[in-house]
Amino acid sequence: MSVFKRIYKFIASMRFAIALLVVLAVACSVGSLVTQGQSYDWYAQRYSERTAALILALGLDDAFHSAWFIAITGFLCLNLTLCNLTRLPRLIRLAKAEGRPEGALKDPGDVSAANIADPRAVFARLRMPAPIACQTEDGREALFASKHRAGLWGAWVCHLGILLLILGFGLGQMTQEQYAVYGVPGDVKPIGDTGRMLQIDDFTVGLRDDDTVEQYTAKITVYDMNADGAPSQSAEIRVNQPATLFGMKFYQNSTGWAGKVNIAKDGEPLQEAVICAGEYLPVADKPELVVVLNAFYPDYRFVPGEGPSTASGQLNHPAWLYSVYYQGQVLGMNALMADEELTIDEYTVTFTDPQSYTLISVKRDRFTPLALVGGLVTMLGLLLAFYVQPARAWAIRQDDGGWTVHGRCRKGGAIWREDFERAAGTASNEE
Amino acid sequence: MLQIENTLFTIVMLLYFAAMLLYFAFIAVKKDGVAKVAIGLQAAGLALHTAALICRGIGAGRLPLTNQYEFATSFAWGLCLVSLIFVLRFKFPVLGAFASPVTFLIIGYAAMQSKEVRSLMPALRSNWLGFHVSTAIIAYGAFGVSFVLGVIFLLRDRMRNSGFLDQHIPNREKLDVIAYRSVSLGLLFLTFTIVTGAIWAERAWGSYWSWDPKETWSLVTWIIYAAYLHLRLRRGWQGRAAAIFAVVGFACVIFTYIGVNTFLPGVHSYA
Repeated sequence: MSVFKRIYKFIASMRFAIALLVVLAVACSVGSLVTQGQSYDWYAQRYSERTAALILALGLDDAFHSAWFIAITGFLCLNLTLCNLTRLPRLIRLAKAEGRPEGALKDPGDVSAANIADPRAVFARLRMPAPIACQTEDGREALFASKHRAGLWGAWVCHLGILLLILGFGLGQMTQEQYAVYGVPGDVKPIGDTGRMLQIDDFTVGLRDDDTVEQYTAKITVYDMNADGAPSQSAEIRVNQPATLFGMKFYQNSTGWAGKVNIAKDGEPLQEAVICAGEYLPVADKPELVVVLNAFYPDYRFVPGEGPSTASGQLNHPAWLYSVYYQGQVLGMNALMADEELTIDEYTVTFTDPQSYTLISVKRDRFTPLALVGGLVTMLGLLLAFYVQPARAWAIRQDDGGWTVHGRCRKGGAIWREDFERAAGTASNEE
Repeated sequence: MLQIENTLFTIVMLLYFAAMLLYFAFIAVKKDGVAKVAIGLQAAGLALHTAALICRGIGAGRLPLTNQYEFATSFAWGLCLVSLIFVLRFKFPVLGAFASPVTFLIIGYAAMQSKEVRSLMPALRSNWLGFHVSTAIIAYGAFGVSFVLGVIFLLRDRMRNSGFLDQHIPNREKLDVIAYRSVSLGLLFLTFTIVTGAIWAERAWGSYWSWDPKETWSLVTWIIYAAYLHLRLRRGWQGRAAAIFAVVGFACVIFTYIGVNTFLPGVHSYA
C-alpha cells in the first residue's frame, strides 16, 4: 500500500475519529476552564507568572480561535469527509442489496427458527411489510421482506450534518459583520461603516408590579444612505424578537442609564448634551477638562463596605456618580444628588433628565441558515441511526412442508434476536 | 397552587424513597411481588410528580423550567420516567433498584434549592424555553439510566452467579445493548437541546454559539457520548470499556448541570 493510501486510510479511519473526539473534548474543557480573553497581568495575578506565560504561549487565552483548535476541527472535518466519501459506494450497494432477496436467501441470518407453519404470521409479529414470494437458487419456495433501509444512512447523514454545521459556523465567523449602536430616543447614529444610519425612535422598559423588568422595547428606523433618497425601514424590536432591516438583523441587546449634562460658565449656559453611563463629555471651551458619567442610581443608597447601589428601579432618590479629569488626571469622583451641582472653577455642572438608553446589536451572518440546516440534518441523521432499524426477514420452505424463518437486523443485537424468537415462538405455539 | 405543589413534592419524595427501599428489599428477599409494588410506587410517584410540576407551572404562570429548583425536580422527573420505561420495556426491576437512589439524590438536591417563584427575565421569555429545557430533561434522564446500566454492568462482573441474577439481570450482551439504547436516546435529545438552544440564543443574543461554559460543556458531553457510540463499534470496546465510558459521560452531565453553574458562570447563570 502506498504512503498516500495509508495516510488516507488513517485519516478516514474510526480510530482517528475517536482520537479527534477525545482531543476535542479535552480542548473544549480547557477552553472553558481557563478564563478567556484576559491579559498577561490578569493571568499572572490569578495563577502565576509562569502559568500566565504558558497560557499565552499556547493560545489558551483565546482557545476557541487558536490555530491548534482550528486545526483539530479541520482534521475532524477532513475525517468526516473522507469517511463519508469512502463509505458512500458501499452504502449504496448495501442499501440496494438490503431490499433484494438474492443475497439474503443464502445467508443464515442473525437468528432463525425452524418448523414454522405460517411464516407470514411471524413476519407480521416482527412488523415487517408483506413479504414477496421468490425462489432460492435450488428452486425452493421462499418469502422475503425488508424494512427501514433508510436507517442504513443514519450515520452518513449525521456526519454530513456535522460537516454543514461546522462549515456554516466557520464561514459565519470569518465573514460576519457585527456592530453595536447605543443611544436614547431621538439619536441617529451610523452603523459602523455600512453607510446606514440607525435612528432610535423610542425605547421603553416595561416593568411588572414587583419592579422587575418584563420587556425592553425599542422602535428603530434604519436609513440606507448609500441609496438615492436614503430609503428607510422601521421596526419594533424586543429581547427575543429581533428584526431584519436592509438584510441586517437588529437585536435589543442591553440597556443602561443616560442623562443630560448641563455645563454653565460663570452662570451662563455653555453646553448641554445627553450622555450614557460610561461616556465622557469634554467641556466645549476647555476640552482638556472632561466630565465622565460613571453610573446612575435611581434609588441611591450607600452601604459602608459595599459601596453605592440602588434600592429599586424607581426614581425615588436619584444620584449621579461622576468623575472629572483634567489633562488625563483625575480631579475628583463623587455622587451628585438630583438637586446638587458640581462646581469646578468657573464651571458649574448639573445632571438632569435620567432616561434609559438602549444598546442595539446589529449583525449580518449569511451562513447562519447553513449552520441551521447542518443542525437539522444532524438531528435527522441521529433519528435514522437510532430509531430506524433496517431489518430483513426471509422464510424458506423445507422438504417436510414447514418453513425455516431467518432474520437479520444490523443494529438490533440481542434485543432484536429476542423479539424474533418471541415472534417465531408464539407462531409455533399457536400452531 | 404553589402550596399544593409543595405538598405534592413532599409526597413524591416519600414515594420515591419508599420505592427505593422496596427495590432494595426485592434484591434482598428475591421476591418478584416486592418488585411489582416498588414499580407501582415509582409509577405513583411519577404521576404525582407530574401533577406537582403542572401545579408549579400554573402557580408560576409559566413553564417550571427556569431555575435550579425547577430544573432539578424536572431532572429527577426525567430520570424517573426514563428508568421506569426501561424497567417495564426490558422487564428489568434491578435497574429500578440502581436508578431510584440516583433519582432520590437529585430530588433531594432539588429540595435544598430555593422554591421561590421569580419573574422571568426578558431573555427567558421565549417559546424556545420549553423545547430547549424539556429535551435536556429527557436527555439527562436517559444519560442517568445509561450511567446506572454502566454501574450494573461493572458490578455484574463481581457478582457471584446465581439463579436470581441470571433471571433478573440481562446477560452482558443484552445489558450493553440496553445501555446503547439509553445513550442513543440521550444523545438524540441532547442534540435537540443544543440545536434548539442555538436557535433561541440567536434570537435572544444574536449569536447562536458563543462558547459560553454551559454550551461548551454540553458540547463536551455530546462528544463524550459520540465517542462512546464509535467505540462500541470497535472490537474489544463493547461491554466493560463502554460501561466505563457511560459512567464518565454521566459525570460530564453532572458537571454541565451543577459544576458549570457553580464554578463557571456565564449566560446560563440563572439555570
